[in-house]
Amino acid sequence: MWAERPRGNALCKECFFHAFEEEIHHTIVHAELFKRNETIAIGASGGKDSTVLAYVLKLLNDRHDYGVNLVLLSVDEGITGYRDDSLETVKRNQEQYGLPLKIISYEELYGWTMDAIVKQIGLKNNCTFCGVFRRQALDRGALMLKVDKIATGHNADDIAETVIMNVLRGDIGRLRRCTAITTGTDGALPRCKPFKYTYEKEIVMYAYFKKLDYFSTECIYSPNAYRGFARAYIKDVEKIRPSAIIDIIHSGESLSVKKDIRLPVQGVCERCGYISSNAVCKACVMLEGLNKGLPRLGIGKTHKERRKMQEMLQQETGAADSTPCTDQSLKSSCKCENKTDQSECSSQTYDSDNASGCSTYSKSQKCKDGCSSTNPRTVAKEKLSIFGKLKQPPSIDF
Amino acid sequence: MCSILEDEIPLAKERKLNILDRKCMKCKEEPAILITRVNDAFCRGCFQVYVTHKFRAAIGKTKLVRDGEKVLVGISGGPSSCALLHLIQEGLSQRAHKKLRFKPGLIFIDEGQVVGQSLEEHKVTLTRIHSLLRQSGFPYHLCQLADSLDLERVKTLNACQSNHSAVNKINQSAMDINTCSNPVEGDKGDVEISGQDENCCDLIEMNREAEKLFAAQLGSIRSISGKEDFVRALRHRLLLEFARQHGYSKVMLGNTGSQLAVRLLTDISTGRGMQAALETAFADRRNTDMMFLRPLRDFSSKEIAMYNNLHRLECVFIPSLTTMGDVGASIEHLTEAFVTGLQAEYPSTVSNIMRTGEKLDSSSAVDLESHCALCQGPLDTDVGMSSALAALRFSLEISTMGKTNGERCIKGDNSVNNTNDELCSNGVNYDAKVECCGKSDGSCRSSTQLSVPDEGLVLQTLCYGCRIVAMEMDDVNSLPEFVMKDVAWRNRRSVMKAEIQDFLLDDR
Repeated sequence: MWAERPRGNALCKECFFHAFEEEIHHTIVHAELFKRNETIAIGASGGKDSTVLAYVLKLLNDRHDYGVNLVLLSVDEGITGYRDDSLETVKRNQEQYGLPLKIISYEELYGWTMDAIVKQIGLKNNCTFCGVFRRQALDRGALMLKVDKIATGHNADDIAETVIMNVLRGDIGRLRRCTAITTGTDGALPRCKPFKYTYEKEIVMYAYFKKLDYFSTECIYSPNAYRGFARAYIKDVEKIRPSAIIDIIHSGESLSVKKDIRLPVQGVCERCGYISSNAVCKACVMLEGLNKGLPRLGIGKTHKERRKMQEMLQQETGAADSTPCTDQSLKSSCKCENKTDQSECSSQTYDSDNASGCSTYSKSQKCKDGCSSTNPRTVAKEKLSIFGKLKQPPSIDF
Repeated sequence: MCSILEDEIPLAKERKLNILDRKCMKCKEEPAILITRVNDAFCRGCFQVYVTHKFRAAIGKTKLVRDGEKVLVGISGGPSSCALLHLIQEGLSQRAHKKLRFKPGLIFIDEGQVVGQSLEEHKVTLTRIHSLLRQSGFPYHLCQLADSLDLERVKTLNACQSNHSAVNKINQSAMDINTCSNPVEGDKGDVEISGQDENCCDLIEMNREAEKLFAAQLGSIRSISGKEDFVRALRHRLLLEFARQHGYSKVMLGNTGSQLAVRLLTDISTGRGMQAALETAFADRRNTDMMFLRPLRDFSSKEIAMYNNLHRLECVFIPSLTTMGDVGASIEHLTEAFVTGLQAEYPSTVSNIMRTGEKLDSSSAVDLESHCALCQGPLDTDVGMSSALAALRFSLEISTMGKTNGERCIKGDNSVNNTNDELCSNGVNYDAKVECCGKSDGSCRSSTQLSVPDEGLVLQTLCYGCRIVAMEMDDVNSLPEFVMKDVAWRNRRSVMKAEIQDFLLDDR
């Protein structure tokens, strides 16, 4: 049986296995991903990347004696028809490779499944929710297991897609970080990507020839994601020049950002203690929105959401004195940290197309504090505490 | 997926852009005649002001062009070049408010050989370009892309226009905005064109050896993407040399924002991420003595097309390698289709990409040795062991070596200076010094007499993107002369440095 590598050499099966495994070993050794006696959690979704990752890491750990302990960590998003099937695969993997497994679900962490979220938000922005929630879920699960690092199955195609996507969206902060093989070394649990230079095609070929057991359906909500455009482009470029994927990663690694560009600063979320670049982390914002019936809280523009909230408040507290914070009081107390966004706080006279609201929650927090309206707001404030001061201590212990 | 400044990509709504009853958004009096950007309607006068202002602001804001400076303007004959030429003429004319003050010289590089144009087509194109350049009233030059292989001759290419239009006849050319009449001079020019034109054609055809060499080199590159990269590098080099030898201090190019967005993505896809910032910035400073400016970088192709339409500017269409090709012909062609398609659905795509490009650092290298020999961009190959380049190298080694030698490869010396693709597979150590044997019968294999540098040395002087092109060629040594000269020079310098290494004080 012969395999032709995307990089142009044709190899027989055994040589292909050898080349594949040695390349990953090379990556691990030179990037110094693992240290002796560390515990590594493998993010296992049951798909081809994580199955092959679990198999190869176990193999290399035995062959080259890294001395690490491997565990499988799986996240249940609650997508029927997709995740429940893939979880069965992960359970089979646990038996086949003899690695301990932990499954953590959105239901138990947040009280929401992806199906319920999609019912609320629709099909367009649901990937945002899933992505943000999964990241936290992986970290929390890893903490429960007391691991030192998380290894995910992101392959070269994924990283190339991410580079292109970040260029298209103008996200310079992510563009700088996305090609790093290990991220999160400061603060949160570090996560590494041993498959960074491995083509998706080769992973599939490896799994096929080794007859590994994996679940191969796409998430049912994925066709509408923006990432689809970047993926289609990458596939087309790969047809023209197979080495383009590594070329894109090389480009991503060589990019440097101008010194005076403002980049997000990492801090800690006030409510749950997780790392966050704003005062309240995205997951808490989104959860609050979901729980209070404003599902687009984490996604839509801030000023629009605040307006909706004000409308809700008016409805709640009846017609009596329905004058929420006016422009003037907000303007004076607003100390926007966001210097580049030189706009005022939102007002009722906002034109819906006029997109220049504040984009940091800390600013809105101060606005509410400076408010001098006389509405009976105690009930409303408790309900929509996301815009108010922290009332209860963080509920999740980090 | 969330960026800090925008939480949402604005979706394109289904709406018909109806301009029949709209007033211009600036003056609000005149009826609008066109719509630009997302939904901005302009009348004729305001649009002219808008375009002119953007152009002048782009040049003036950076304060890079001084009074009386000689600037070489690259004219390719396409729509953006014609618009650039017209804008420069406008800006320099006496009637303009605060007129521009630099001395432009025009240059057209004939790339007909790239697509294999026949002689008749060639002549037709040249005639039209010639008339276009002459009507402008500025000194102009015509040369061939193959001249880049023979840079010595570039000095002899004189300006073609010396007998005809003088530089300051612009006032008489009556480029009146509102009436858009054709210049009076053009009629006279047509009559005389045949005589002068043939001289210019002769001037271009004289370089037959260079043409053959160029054809051979181009032919040896397998993929169209590689050919395009090669042509671009040569073009850049030719402009650079020409400008240097004829006393110009800056080069101005007419790339629009849409073209530059495509350029940025293509550069990222071909491994030229480090140069991507240079290619899309207003000022490209990769050569310390020559700056390449792009004043049209804030315009979209649509705006340029509308400007040309308003002023009835004639462009010359010159086919390129991917004209009439299918989408997957080359990476640049594919990227163009991708960006244009995405722009139709999400109108802010091009401006997002340009904004990303602006934030990237275009710091150029300090000394000549850290420039790529072919494209003069910064070298990006000095990366550590944990990098895409190292991974690619290792993968190639292990795929060609097989199982038994696999172990040797991992522990082998993978430092940047030593590695080339030949090292492991041939087992030949290129660093072994061979002394001159003393015989003078031409069989000397002394390593100090490297007349033909080996592949590894040549590849070391190229950046990642140019390496891909060079490796597609049959013989790396058939790269253009200026590349080989650079390689030899660097080799000599590194030998010199090795000899005096012990005496050099490390200032780190």
